[in-house]
Amino acid sequence: MFFAVVRFWPAVDAMMLSVSRWNLVGPRQFVGLANYERMAGDPVFWQVLGNTFEYLLLGLPVSLVLAFVIAFYLDRVEYGQGLLRALYFLPHLTTATAMAWVWRWFYQPPPVGLFNAWLGALGFGAQPFLRSTTQALPAVLVAAIWAALGFQVVIFMAGLKAIPRSYYEAAAIDGAGFWQILREITLPLLAPSVVFLLITTSIGLLRIFDLVYNITAGGEGGPLNATKPLVLSIYQSAFARMDMGYASAQTVVLFVILLALSLLQMRLLRGRDEGGRG
Amino acid sequence: MASVALRGVRKDFGRTQVIKGVDLEIADREFVVFVGPSGCGKSTLLRLIAGLEDASAGEIEIGGRVVNTMAPKDRNIAMVFQNYALYPHMTVARNMGFGLRAARLPAAEIERRVRAAADMLGLADLLDRRPGALSGGQRQRVAMGRAIVRDPQVFLFDEPLSNLDAQLRTQVRTEIKKLHQQVRTTAIYVTHDQVEAMTLADRIVLLRDGRVEQVGTPTALFERPVNRFVAGFIGSPAMNFIPARLEGAEIVLPGMRLPCPALAHRGGDGAVTLGIRPEDIWAGEDSLRAPVACRFEAVAGVVEPMGSEALVMTQVGGVDVQVRLIGRAHPRAGERLRLAMDPAQIHVFDGASGVSLR
Repeated sequence: MFFAVVRFWPAVDAMMLSVSRWNLVGPRQFVGLANYERMAGDPVFWQVLGNTFEYLLLGLPVSLVLAFVIAFYLDRVEYGQGLLRALYFLPHLTTATAMAWVWRWFYQPPPVGLFNAWLGALGFGAQPFLRSTTQALPAVLVAAIWAALGFQVVIFMAGLKAIPRSYYEAAAIDGAGFWQILREITLPLLAPSVVFLLITTSIGLLRIFDLVYNITAGGEGGPLNATKPLVLSIYQSAFARMDMGYASAQTVVLFVILLALSLLQMRLLRGRDEGGRG
Repeated sequence: MASVALRGVRKDFGRTQVIKGVDLEIADREFVVFVGPSGCGKSTLLRLIAGLEDASAGEIEIGGRVVNTMAPKDRNIAMVFQNYALYPHMTVARNMGFGLRAARLPAAEIERRVRAAADMLGLADLLDRRPGALSGGQRQRVAMGRAIVRDPQVFLFDEPLSNLDAQLRTQVRTEIKKLHQQVRTTAIYVTHDQVEAMTLADRIVLLRDGRVEQVGTPTALFERPVNRFVAGFIGSPAMNFIPARLEGAEIVLPGMRLPCPALAHRGGDGAVTLGIRPEDIWAGEDSLRAPVACRFEAVAGVVEPMGSEALVMTQVGGVDVQVRLIGRAHPRAGERLRLAMDPAQIHVFDGASGVSLR
């Protein structure tokens, strides 16, 4: 009952809304697939969809590889490991809004912004960062990766600690090198952690919103929609232009993407677990 | 194949001394068992030989080369771990070939060696399975297979049978012995089980508290233990110990005076401990074979019949003494028994230090 009301009803309602026109207060009006037709012809939608995948396809490999490397070496630190792990985890406990504003300051033009101050000190020219249509999205992504790192590192470290020490000792006696151990022991045995992080990180990146909203000027996802992800576009359609139907149509698209991706990842990793290696 | 030598080997973990100076020579092709109670340092000693721990002092030599600074892989050893350390995501064949892939052997050679080892261990039908689909005994054999394919100079076994149930343990124990007789590779085997030690070893190294108590053949440790600790550890059921006094050429127990000319005129305060194994106490007709001085009477307490033999608890001078009676007939509790100690099998230990006096 609880699930039906709290989870499924809003989802079903959103699908109904996506084939309606509604401004939140007036009566709903059935419009068929008009919202979807409008979406297909809307260049901003396609740009926003592209941005969303750019966040995913750049952010996913970079953040997971980075988190793994940090966890791998942190796992070998003998003293103060707990403290270091806590420091890495700290961003996870901070609100996205606060982080976004700090990063926004990092990226400001000289003499205000931290990064430009460093670049200046090292003798490089100032960079536009958030003000450039090409640099803005990667700049936001760096902040997003940094924010997610702590959680990923902690998950990877837990996974690494679950691998029995004797596996590595047996490998050391057998004369396995660094890469053979990594490829044949560590990574396969870390697969459950990798699956979990692949799914959670993908969903997180596809749903990126608060960071972009707070880091870009006026919460617009600018400049010129260069950083705008799908969720921000949905938010703007719904609550800036009161166009619930169009917002819902975009939501349905996002839902389909998330669903497809989750199913794909689960199937890929299950297939590998059962047959693949051996 | 190779000999192994330890010279003045010590190992400290922080302030805790775990190995307190061990000297040992292990001959080529020998099967040596490290045995002792938990915490005696036997596993640590094995890990020092493997190179999984660094010695704090002393020299470790394998095949005439000092290996202290060598990585485990350069020591040409193979180890069977207590939990087998089989990789759960690899098939048996890949598990067994892991070390050979590390050595970058050609695939055909790896396959040939894995197959040969699998045939020897009866694993040929299981090569495509994962460890999760194997029984405990099969996993144990895969772990041995992984060691064998590498054709090492020395085999190291770290309590390899402790995860198996009692029946399987006996069976695999026999297989290990048979395997060693086939391949004749020097083997060092760690266990806390003195029965395993007795049945497998060419020589036993009995450790206590980081030191070697005695090194010798199973028979030597059983028949001529150098001190009370060794006497009590080796043999099952354990040796009986009875406090006694040495007076001139006699050992005086409550109600008994045993002649013992070999210990006559030994100094000290005369406090000794007499040791006698449960099977060296004769009962009934047999007791008449012993000299009169060695005979005594006692009341049977708890009787544990075990089919072909029975363990009977009695008391001598207020001390519990276990007697092992061979044969199907066994006394009832409360029955008065005529017993005698086999004079040839009486051990005498110094009362204070526990050192054997004969």
